[in-house]
Amino acid sequence: MRAAVELFGGRAYDGVSVDDLVSHLGVHRNSLYKTFGSKRGLYLIALRRHLADDVRPLLDALGGAPDAEAALRLVTAADLRLLLLATVERAPVDEEVASEVTAALAAVDRAIADALGVPADLAAALTATALGILLRGNTDNVATALTRHLDPLP
Amino acid sequence: MALIRIDGDDLVVVMEGFDKLWAFKGSLTIPLANVRGVTADPGIATDPKGIRAPGSHVPGVITAGTFHQDGEKVFWDVRDASKAVVIELADERYARLVLQVDDPRAAVALVEKALA
Repeated sequence: MRAAVELFGGRAYDGVSVDDLVSHLGVHRNSLYKTFGSKRGLYLIALRRHLADDVRPLLDALGGAPDAEAALRLVTAADLRLLLLATVERAPVDEEVASEVTAALAAVDRAIADALGVPADLAAALTATALGILLRGNTDNVATALTRHLDPLP
Repeated sequence: MALIRIDGDDLVVVMEGFDKLWAFKGSLTIPLANVRGVTADPGIATDPKGIRAPGSHVPGVITAGTFHQDGEKVFWDVRDASKAVVIELADERYARLVLQVDDPRAAVALVEKALA
């Protein structure tokens, strides 16, 4: 299933063919259909696996974040490729994906809010910033520059 | 070529033209509850299909009819592999249908929306 997480996290949903899944997962096409029902069925399981394997540990790590900069660094250092792609690409067209993505991002918000003792909306802003930094690709300087200009958090 | 539509709580597959000669009386109605999913899969046509009976299989030209593979019955009607979709079923005569549709992306969206 990690192979499916890697595949779906590495390129667009439509860019992953059943041929790709069959060869990377090492299963027969028939058993892929029998087990997962469809490419979408497999995708949902891969997404949940990603949330358990990659997002869950991030939540635990965020629990120990001492300040906003540390929280931003933890999020930008995590492997969130499938979550980001799912958010941008599949959530708008797939309600089940949307609800998984929404719940995962809300959990990140909560972890930040609890660790830093900040209101939920500020925590959500920090999550949004971290995801934005991930998309931009510059994970070092922007987080420092931003947090330097933030009011000291309580 | 197959036409796929949703009729209430059913998925209806209608075979067009000559395909109905070797297909199930021209159409098949399946409760949506027995539809596990649908996938556009142009690559499936190059896979081994199992043993045909009855139907028509001219390799490289047309695959149509009932095939038996790994203890499952699979219905095929594909001429143009690039337009193949796979509909996975449960508790039906066929384990899955491999059909040629006009617009695979639209067919997948239609069935997934009905299943949601």
